[in-house]
Amino acid sequence: MNVLELKDVTKKYGGFTAVENLSLELEPGKVLSLLGPSGCGKTTTLRIIAGFAAPDEGSVQIAGEDVGELKPYERNVGLLFQDYALFPHMTVAQNVAYGMRYRGAAAAAIPSRVKQMLSLVQLAGMELRYPNQLSGGQQQRVALARALATDPKIVLLDEPLSALDAKLRLELRIELKEILRSVGATTIVVTHDQEEALSLGDEVVIMHAGKIVQRGTPTQIYQSPADKFVAEFVGRSNWFHSTRSGQSSAGFTSYLTGDGVEIRAKSSPSGYNGGADLCVRPEHIQLVDSAAPEAPSDAQHNSMAGVVLDVASLGPDVHVVVELPGKVRLLAIRKNVGKITGLAPGQCVRALFSASDVLVFDVDWR
Amino acid sequence: MLSTKERLNADVTFRTKALVSAKPMLSKRRIDTLLAIAVTAIVAVTALFLLFPVVVTVLMAFDGRDYIGPFPPTELSTQWFGRLFEDAYIWEGFKTSLLLAIATTAAAAGIGALAALAISWMSPRLRDVVTTMFLSPLVLPGVIIGFGLLMFFAAFHQLPAFLKLFAGHLIITLPFTIRMTLVGLAGISQTLREAALSLGANERQVFFTITLPLTKNGIAAGAIFAFATSMDDVTISLFLSDFQTYTLPLALTTLIKSNFDLTIAAAAVAMISLTLVLLIVLDRVLGLERAMGHGANRIR
Repeated sequence: MNVLELKDVTKKYGGFTAVENLSLELEPGKVLSLLGPSGCGKTTTLRIIAGFAAPDEGSVQIAGEDVGELKPYERNVGLLFQDYALFPHMTVAQNVAYGMRYRGAAAAAIPSRVKQMLSLVQLAGMELRYPNQLSGGQQQRVALARALATDPKIVLLDEPLSALDAKLRLELRIELKEILRSVGATTIVVTHDQEEALSLGDEVVIMHAGKIVQRGTPTQIYQSPADKFVAEFVGRSNWFHSTRSGQSSAGFTSYLTGDGVEIRAKSSPSGYNGGADLCVRPEHIQLVDSAAPEAPSDAQHNSMAGVVLDVASLGPDVHVVVELPGKVRLLAIRKNVGKITGLAPGQCVRALFSASDVLVFDVDWR
Repeated sequence: MLSTKERLNADVTFRTKALVSAKPMLSKRRIDTLLAIAVTAIVAVTALFLLFPVVVTVLMAFDGRDYIGPFPPTELSTQWFGRLFEDAYIWEGFKTSLLLAIATTAAAAGIGALAALAISWMSPRLRDVVTTMFLSPLVLPGVIIGFGLLMFFAAFHQLPAFLKLFAGHLIITLPFTIRMTLVGLAGISQTLREAALSLGANERQVFFTITLPLTKNGIAAGAIFAFATSMDDVTISLFLSDFQTYTLPLALTTLIKSNFDLTIAAAAVAMISLTLVLLIVLDRVLGLERAMGHGANRIR
């Protein structure tokens, strides 16, 4: 049975439709990421599930029970806020015990449960500290312990890692995942940060303008985006806007852009021949010295001459910007391993990528 | 080849240039120094100006002479304090003032806190209107409030003076308690309430476990202001008191008019001491809580 079921939920604020006809199910023990730009309705969805906002239409079920009419304190949903929302006038132990007190736990059972929760988040011995005596990462763990202490049906995480610095974020992300898995919490992570969404979620739901655009595993979302919005929103990409297509053979078509670039890619699935928006992920682009022997340039491969504009070494990755004729810029990402043979600005290179690595989308005429 | 004159000219130009370029550096620095001295002087004069009356009053209160001699006193004694405590007229005023201030503070703190809470729940537009309305006694001259109340209370026959004074003082102290509570409430982030609600506490429990404890400092600060304002008020009390029920400041003003002696200075010193003790006690209480981790959401 699904722990959570949203059916055709719509929520309007004045003339603005925050969430439109949204349906969502979640199986027990799964972690689902709600990913989208700000204003896409993900926070409204979270508030509807938590009970802070009432849907105008549709139904919300938690563990088979219709909770549409229930107040936040009448549904057992654990919340982890972006700013942690720890009670500043209570100790760590009092913070963690707060929910148990009101969820009807026996007073005698509370201290041992607090202890158990704090050791789960590796904060044993911090019981008597106040929140302002803790680091950001520690505060977040207290907030998590507090949210999990009442054994909630669903845990909602609102941008759980965004307030932390980059290094701590990675550490806590792994820890957070481990903790959620160890207690088997059914979780929804709401975030605009794709790294957070893809890394935490078993599945990812992409939201745009109040609607769900795509639902899938992180790999599915990245490798086969449902539409242009998803492709552009998740990951980095190079875009070509083709206005007309040329020859077509064996499922591959050559597309022409206004800048005079020719790209070979799979034929548009709709069979529309007028043109397409094409997307190439930077890691699919190989760069070779233009003096190197000519690479195969048939219907299934792309080979373009260009000049290196910029090389940025970002630790594990090297980002190379290549300028093609017609001022078209291309971003290629290489792994920073072995010898990166003398890529330097001004160098003439060939950019190679397979036609099957190009994502093809119908031109959006809207 | 340059002529001698031309060379001389060039030399002069060079020197002037050097002077011009060196001079601003020096004078810039001098301006800074002068400004620093000026600012320090202004601060010192202001501090002196503020403290001088207090110092004079305190010293004169311990004057040992029987008559009012020029400042500073030539001999010291506590004779005026002795007279102060024997003076039934002042003593009566003090009792009324203290009772009035305590009653006013308690009522103003309670009503102010509730009003501020209600205001914080209002829509932004209504909030502005209501806040302005409640804070208007701050800008309205006391004479107008006092006179207005006098006329208003005239409609009720034989209302005790204490009750009239209480009502008047409540009006002028409420702005302080409302204001300070609002400041305290503004420091509580909405997510704290929501976190508590999501943890199973209902609205009433959230109020008593989260909102109220975190607003306590604001309410207490407002109460201090209310107490001080009530103890100090002359204008409004003047309209609302009668020959039996009068406040300490009124007693002192009457005394100045009739027989001018240094009992007034002694009374002032007693008032200052009382205020100081009150402030220290409250700072201890509030300061202690802050050290224990209070108000963290305001620091962050």
